[in-house]
Amino acid sequence: MKTLNKTLLAALLAIVTAGLFIVASQAMGSDDEEDGGTIVFTKPVKAVIFEHSIHVEMGMDCDSCHDDPFEMAAGTAEENDDFNMKALYEGKYCGMCHDGETAFASNTNCTACHIGVKGYNRMMGTKEKKGHGSGHH
Amino acid sequence: MRNEQSVRPDAITDQERRTFLKLGLKITGVLAGGTMLSLAPLPDDEAQAAFDLAGYRRGAKYKPHYGMVIRQNHCVDCEKCKEACKKTNHVPDYGWRTTILEKDVETEPGKKYRIFVPVLCNHCLNPPCVRVCPTKATYKDPKTGIVVMEYKKCIGCKTCMAACPYNARYFKEENRAIDKCNFCFDTRLSKGEKLTACAAACPAKVRVFGDLADPESEPSKLLRQPDKFVWVLRPEAGARPFIFYMND
Repeated sequence: MKTLNKTLLAALLAIVTAGLFIVASQAMGSDDEEDGGTIVFTKPVKAVIFEHSIHVEMGMDCDSCHDDPFEMAAGTAEENDDFNMKALYEGKYCGMCHDGETAFASNTNCTACHIGVKGYNRMMGTKEKKGHGSGHH
Repeated sequence: MRNEQSVRPDAITDQERRTFLKLGLKITGVLAGGTMLSLAPLPDDEAQAAFDLAGYRRGAKYKPHYGMVIRQNHCVDCEKCKEACKKTNHVPDYGWRTTILEKDVETEPGKKYRIFVPVLCNHCLNPPCVRVCPTKATYKDPKTGIVVMEYKKCIGCKTCMAACPYNARYFKEENRAIDKCNFCFDTRLSKGEKLTACAAACPAKVRVFGDLADPESEPSKLLRQPDKFVWVLRPEAGARPFIFYMND
């Protein structure tokens, strides 16, 4: 009887925990659906950050950027060979607005979007490899 | 423009200077990005003049005289330079021959802008590391001015590491010797390549490498622009570094 109780309790606990996870992930999912969240590009260089929220707060609509120049699915633009600064200067991708008129020009303010390998590692929680510059000697 | 503001010498407070002196050598890696003083007049000065490279090189007889100009504001820390350097020169994970420092600068009150600062051996005209080496394992190559290491002479005493104002040296366990940037002399330049691995790998042309004894070389031309502000790292160390920085 005692063991049965224990098994029951464990099963109940498992169900509750799983339930919590589902609720939590749904909550996160709905956030993402609202404004797309944070996009991190790693190609052709690591890394460029795009915050949906900042752009939405400026009053932009989904169709300001979707599906042109960017498809809804994250990572689609990165697959294109011309997804680079040259294309931006020609008015493609981010350069559609970041042209110096609608928004700051693509050839200025580099680190507003380029977070670098350091920024990427911080975001992903990767511990940076300790080089001799980290002052551990 | 934002960046230029950040590297104006008057942006460095006395307090920063004192703190820097107090802290000494141990945290050079951090401070190298923080102490920059101008060599050329400020951009908003009325009388502008180009950086006097010939004056800076006075007495140097190297030919070619290898050096590098770093267009700092173009660096986005993609670290392709670092990867290329590691691969070309077999640099282990615990050390570096070149790396990128980062710093947040206040462009206006409450507003921060991040800058990335590529660093490497400065191939100084007056290198403190060479002066202190007891076995002459590190020296300035009489032809090119490159500060080189002769591994078999190195006894691993690390005095050069302590003397370097730029933290540009590390002890390489595999060699049982100090290792450092040599502008890829053995791995590339001596094999006919014109650029260092880092300069060749940079997608934003941040690192402009070449012969600064030749007034027509790309880096020389960059330094000659009259309206551009040129600086070196930690000039107060007196080493006469030969890596130049500018926002171009």
